[in-house]
Amino acid sequence: MTDLTRRRFLSASAALAAAGLGLPMIGRAAPKARVVVVGGGYAGAIAAKYLQRTAPEIRVTLIEKSPYYVSCPLSNEVLSGERDLDSLTFDYRGLTRRGINVMQDEIVEVDPAQHFVRGAGGNRYNYDRLVIAPGVDYRWDAIDGMTEAAAEVVPHAWKAGPQTELLRRQLEAMDDGGVFIIVAPPNPFRCPPGPYERAAQVAHYFKVHKPKSKILLLDAKDAFSKQALFQAGWKAHYGDMIEWVPGAAGGIVEGIDPDSRTLIGQVDDYPGDVVNLIPHQRAGKLAQVAGLADDSGWCPVDPRSFESTIHPDIHVIGDACIAGAMPKSGYAANSQGKVCAAAIAAALNGDPLPAPSYVNTCYSLIAPDHGISVAGVYELNDGAIVGVPDSGGVSPADADARTRAIEAKFARSWFSNITADMFT
Amino acid sequence: MPRPLRTASTSSPTGRFWLAAGIAAALALGAAGAPASDVRSAPMLANTCAGCHGTDGASAGDYMPTIGGLAKGYLFEVMSDYKTGLRPSTIMGRIMRGYSDQEIWAIADFYASRPWVSTDRIGEAAAVHVGEQIHEQQCATCHEDGGRAQDDDSPRLAGQWSEYTLYALENCREQGKRCSPRKMGLRVMDLSDEELTSLADYYESQK
Repeated sequence: MTDLTRRRFLSASAALAAAGLGLPMIGRAAPKARVVVVGGGYAGAIAAKYLQRTAPEIRVTLIEKSPYYVSCPLSNEVLSGERDLDSLTFDYRGLTRRGINVMQDEIVEVDPAQHFVRGAGGNRYNYDRLVIAPGVDYRWDAIDGMTEAAAEVVPHAWKAGPQTELLRRQLEAMDDGGVFIIVAPPNPFRCPPGPYERAAQVAHYFKVHKPKSKILLLDAKDAFSKQALFQAGWKAHYGDMIEWVPGAAGGIVEGIDPDSRTLIGQVDDYPGDVVNLIPHQRAGKLAQVAGLADDSGWCPVDPRSFESTIHPDIHVIGDACIAGAMPKSGYAANSQGKVCAAAIAAALNGDPLPAPSYVNTCYSLIAPDHGISVAGVYELNDGAIVGVPDSGGVSPADADARTRAIEAKFARSWFSNITADMFT
Repeated sequence: MPRPLRTASTSSPTGRFWLAAGIAAALALGAAGAPASDVRSAPMLANTCAGCHGTDGASAGDYMPTIGGLAKGYLFEVMSDYKTGLRPSTIMGRIMRGYSDQEIWAIADFYASRPWVSTDRIGEAAAVHVGEQIHEQQCATCHEDGGRAQDDDSPRLAGQWSEYTLYALENCREQGKRCSPRKMGLRVMDLSDEELTSLADYYESQK
């Protein structure tokens, strides 16, 4: 029923009631329930859209501090010069057109008891159910000398935007023969294959423009996502340009002197010409402020609904939540947003929570014509999100060049579709 | 969570028909029976595909096929063939092995009930003309009405992304007589790159 016909129906009913025909008076149609979603990224935008689609009678408000969204997936291609940030930037008009109430505000307070959130300017938003998708925050205390201010000298570029452009400018200004150092964080962190794709994308740029340069990847870990595929791809395209130093071989970084761009490792010091230190991570700031994170720094949730196990009626989705076997990826966030939306719609309708289904699909680009992927299909098993046996996994190690090329094409179409799923 | 039946998919078309019919009957019974909160619903299963195939299966990416609005039987067969490996894939096999046949049927049912959305591109006239001639000679007996018609064996091609159609044609040509269906392998195995491209452009231009 459209608004117009509903208004006609209501006025007709009111007229009949007024005429004393004994029909019950129907009040002004109020929304059945109010759901507030804070954070308009891969998780939050999807939760808002799919909730509105599933249960249009619910009033959905999406609150995001920025008028635009810049995608992290594919932002490593900005570092190689293959694309610009504009190609990764989206606005929220598509969601507004769907009837979602999109507000630009920075939420600074959550009151789980009174069921409201408050914006930096004092605006108060009441909710029946709250979804927060705050992404990640950085643990500035984990590496000695690394501060938010230092990130203006040694960018993390782990949230796409000005940091990405800063790192690109530093790479462009670097002399041929220089050393670019990437510091990869310990698990868990946003986008597990990201640092290794970044090494490949920067190598792609160096290969043409600064072929005598080196890339050193200092890792807190001894293994990483799609490792064999990355290492084979690095060698095939870039020879010995990329050197990976695992934690056990001295890759763990304990401190940094930002001014000299020198990293202080457990064993050696590493001076670099351009340094990209990706900080240790935890759930986004709002999750910390609202007391939704546990001692791990991440948010425990019921995997059937993504409702917090700490505060009822608040759901946490995307990178901030603890989601069993699912990685902290854009596709996982998308999938969680849909499960969360279906659970909220069921709960508000008094229906049993639906059985959940989750998927992850993640592509990495080693070169413009060399893509690799990992896929995971997950289910709920004894209260935990686990991979379905015998499914998922990574691209075959022995794939031919045509397969690698088509996976690179699929990576770009993946981006077109997942962003259309979010913003249109 | 107890999983619905996960039987090995049979590769014979007749067997597949009876399997599908049995699943349809089971689903119909399930719908009228007890609350089935451990059975994953069709939208729950199918919405996970939208991250790559677009909302409701209307793809916004040129190498990803639009799947919304295709025939249910066709979708079931293709997904089952990905699962068994009968149909080659980069990633679809890895994903489909995560679902029971019953779940694949539910996903097929969901996307078959979505509207078909054609791309808004038109190919270059000369290529489209070459493609039309090949279509008439080689393809039109199964892919009727300029690729607009469809059934459980022949998908709609009109308005599909040409990049994807070309990829599917190249795969079939590479498989030759092993392509499923074999008759399609026989018809595309001698076509050149340029002819396949023209054919894909022709189909995308039919809306």
